[in-house]
Amino acid sequence: MAATVPARAQVLSVYRQFIKNANQFTNYNFREYFLRRTRNTFKQNKTVEDPARLAALFGEARAELKVLKRQSVISQMYTFDKTVVEPLNKRSHG
Amino acid sequence: MLCSVGSRCGAGQGALLQSRQSGASAFVSKRFFAAAAGGNTLKQEDVLKRVGDVIKSFSKTGTSASNADTPAAEVTEATSFQKDLGLDSLDTVELLVAIEEEFEIEIPDKVADELKTVGETVKHILSNPEAN
Repeated sequence: MAATVPARAQVLSVYRQFIKNANQFTNYNFREYFLRRTRNTFKQNKTVEDPARLAALFGEARAELKVLKRQSVISQMYTFDKTVVEPLNKRSHG
Repeated sequence: MLCSVGSRCGAGQGALLQSRQSGASAFVSKRFFAAAAGGNTLKQEDVLKRVGDVIKSFSKTGTSASNADTPAAEVTEATSFQKDLGLDSLDTVELLVAIEEEFEIEIPDKVADELKTVGETVKHILSNPEAN
């Protein structure tokens, strides 16, 4: 499965899932870290053209997505106090 | 030492109580909203304004959209994510996820790939009965 070259839509779909799952983390620091890491990794590799490299990166991303999904679910099982930088009201937009 | 522990504990309980109360009221109002309307009663101007707010707070987050200086007041239906806001395809995905969260909806992958402008997004939100 990792040997196939991913289509543009597939990459975007995986990126969307990364962002959604990272957003699920209840802990601010974990959440921001995974958002930052996801953005940086995808932006860094957005110019990659080599099919073999693309396939390898895509396979890697899918494996990491599994870990991220599992960890975000685990994160929701524990509560954390909000840090001072977080808005109390979700709709207040900071 | 004892005092600081005690006061921290008290503050924690207060916050917990507060969050419980706000959760309860949000739940009640949501029920009321759904019962009264039986669908979404969002107005187009409100949706446009809220999408504008999301875009405004989004461009502050320091993604590659540094040239997205378009303030919310200038966000119109014709505003294109890529051309006017300077977002690349990854940023667009992220913005749509933020919009999904704002309206508590889920935009399917196929639809999301087709949304290129604010107008199309607003239209999709209005067509979704779950949006609020």
